[in-house]
Amino acid sequence: MSNYGWLKTLLMFVIAFAVQSTIGDWLKILDVGPDFILIFIVSVALRYGAGAGCFWGFLAGFTLDVYAPVEWLGANTIAMTIVGFAVGQLEEHFLTLNLPPKVGVLGLAFYVNDMFYFLITGLERDVVTTLFLTKTVPESIYTVIIGGIWFYLTSGKKSDV
Amino acid sequence: MLRAFRFIVDLFSQRHGVVAFAFFLVLGILIHASSTAVRESIVDKALSTVFYPVQLLMASVNDFRSLQAENDHLKAENARLRQETYHASEGLQELARLHTLVRFDDKWNFPIVTSRVVGHNPGRFLTTLVINRGTHHGVKENMPVMSMNGLVGKITKASLTHSRVQLLVDPNLKLSVLERRTRVVGFLESVDGHLLSAMIPSHAGVAEGDTLITSGLGGIFPKGIPVGTVHRVRKADLDVMSLMDVKPFQEFSTLEEVFVMQKEPDWIIQELLDE
Repeated sequence: MSNYGWLKTLLMFVIAFAVQSTIGDWLKILDVGPDFILIFIVSVALRYGAGAGCFWGFLAGFTLDVYAPVEWLGANTIAMTIVGFAVGQLEEHFLTLNLPPKVGVLGLAFYVNDMFYFLITGLERDVVTTLFLTKTVPESIYTVIIGGIWFYLTSGKKSDV
Repeated sequence: MLRAFRFIVDLFSQRHGVVAFAFFLVLGILIHASSTAVRESIVDKALSTVFYPVQLLMASVNDFRSLQAENDHLKAENARLRQETYHASEGLQELARLHTLVRFDDKWNFPIVTSRVVGHNPGRFLTTLVINRGTHHGVKENMPVMSMNGLVGKITKASLTHSRVQLLVDPNLKLSVLERRTRVVGFLESVDGHLLSAMIPSHAGVAEGDTLITSGLGGIFPKGIPVGTVHRVRKADLDVMSLMDVKPFQEFSTLEEVFVMQKEPDWIIQELLDE
């Protein structure tokens, strides 16, 4: 990754959080909104590979954890590091990922992230089931739609690796 | 500096990122496995050094100070008037029920600090806010935080210029509540960091649409602050208790200003907290 690539990713990181804090709230329908931060991590991992994926996943997860209950500190960090690495590995082994697989990877990443998050936080099974049905499923669909649009708009821009 | 940073990152990128992955994963596990004091310290340092200044900068973009000061003043006054209205309503109910008893100790005679929300969890589970008032402005830990609509949470960490607010949806916050119509006491919590639920004795007959206020028990929140309405009544594991979904009066994700009530915990609670 070039210097320009790093700066661009850093800018995207800040924008992703700013968008999540502002537009993310406006876009909510029945308390269901897209996860721009996960879209960012998957985008970075798909574009720059597993190393960058887990690095930015770690940073993004830690940023989320700072504002989460102290007893859950590290849950987002671990979950997003794993997601960043796993998606990066997919990118490295399936270099021809085009739009539909990318969207599929985003949806899969969403579930993997939430499963690790729920596992690490140690929530009870019925609570996890409720959260899975009321948050994970609808938000993954919403995120996949928004992510699909984002991947479509940015497709073919892999020149600065 | 940038070159050194890139060198380290490039080193980590070898072997398809496995080294980086192992490093960050172990780091994450160490953070998660650390003691509460270490975690508090990590969060405090991260907030003070990086996140708070950045969020303050972002939040200040549209800050028109002269209008803000006047706005703060009016909102504080409005909040105080609302408190008094609620308090008067509570007082009338008590007078009607208890002719011989007069209770003055649940008056809200506490000064209010108006503060602006400068940061909140950008993720999907909102449990914490950061406000731009700290010990320098008289804010201390465990002070109640409210908005014009109702209770928001309490201060968990007060730094010099900013503080962390633990929202009602934080699973660590348990709150004693009182149903306004039936006067029965229950407790409120969030088990998942998302939804609020209350446990109230079944015999009381609390129904959908009933209002929950703070009970004043517990010594941190004064009695009578509106909390939310009962949205749905469910059967709990115990037949004697009803589990209720509660819709808070205040939507936390849209909060821009909050009021910190300068009420310190009752001395016995303070002693327990210190222990």
